[in-house]
Amino acid sequence: MASLQLCLPSTCRFRQRPVHCAADQRQGLFNRIAPVYDNLNDLLSLGQHRVWKRMAVSWSGAKMGDCVLDLCCGSGDLAFLLSEKVGSNGKVTGLDFSKEQLSIASHRQNFVPKACCNNIEWIEGDALDLPFSDGYFDAITVGYGLRNVVDKHRAMQEMYRVLKPGSRVSVLDFNKSTQPFTASIQEWMIDNVVVPMATGYGLAKEYEYLKSSIREFLTGKELEKLALQVGFSNATHYEIGGGLMGNLVAKR
Amino acid sequence: MVRASIGLLKDAGNGVSKTLSEILVCPLSKLPLRYCEETNSLISEAIGVSFPIKDGIPCLVPKDGKIIEADDMPKTDDAADSSSKHD
Repeated sequence: MASLQLCLPSTCRFRQRPVHCAADQRQGLFNRIAPVYDNLNDLLSLGQHRVWKRMAVSWSGAKMGDCVLDLCCGSGDLAFLLSEKVGSNGKVTGLDFSKEQLSIASHRQNFVPKACCNNIEWIEGDALDLPFSDGYFDAITVGYGLRNVVDKHRAMQEMYRVLKPGSRVSVLDFNKSTQPFTASIQEWMIDNVVVPMATGYGLAKEYEYLKSSIREFLTGKELEKLALQVGFSNATHYEIGGGLMGNLVAKR
Repeated sequence: MVRASIGLLKDAGNGVSKTLSEILVCPLSKLPLRYCEETNSLISEAIGVSFPIKDGIPCLVPKDGKIIEADDMPKTDDAADSSSKHD
């Protein structure tokens, strides 16, 4: 059987080679950090990431009985929070491009005592080509994922496509601050806290990536503009965590 | 092909759950997928590509799809119909 890599339909043929390489590298990175990802998140944010993720879920508007998507779900933190929100009559789909992260998410699901977490399904997929019909989901969350996607415009387009009219996407990530002081604090913390700690796990290079990915990310205003460009009816970016983190909320 | 009981296959570690079978479409054509029990994969008839299912998780990354050669199509009523259409 021929691999699809050799012969992609016209919609994909125009993606440049460097884009494929960057995506493959990031996929590899997330596969490598998977075993320690959750522990490091707790250590590096002193547990605060749990608070920010609860806020992201609240902002998504997910409620009982909803069908929701957690995009770039990783090891499943947001998916498990959504699972509680939508209940046993709702459905959560977690999509990620990292096999290793999904494997951890799936194992966590088996050890969670709550019966309602049976409402989560995991899919290995690409945020740029979502395997869902138009207008399917009642809410979408993305936690620390959009920054790692090689084509943010296309990812936003796909999120817009698969959302029901009137529904929201909630995108939590690092804040690319326009305040020089905040940006300096962020970079100082990455250089002097994050990377040294990651070095202890043999993952220095993987976490050094964080600094350049924030620099290349969009500011809050740019994210709002992008959301409106792809068709969302309104978009607001909230700064949280002392301005170190941000959450874009956009309504279709 | 006799449409397999998707729920039972999920329990066996194969197939996809009923939930997913309702949600999923081909990531490229955005058209419905067909579950193939023989290869434990999801087939996009529209573009002739199959996507694997591993440990119960559908792998729907476009670059991981495999183009189905005519010879590789499972010998079923559906495949026979499509073969006759190609002649």
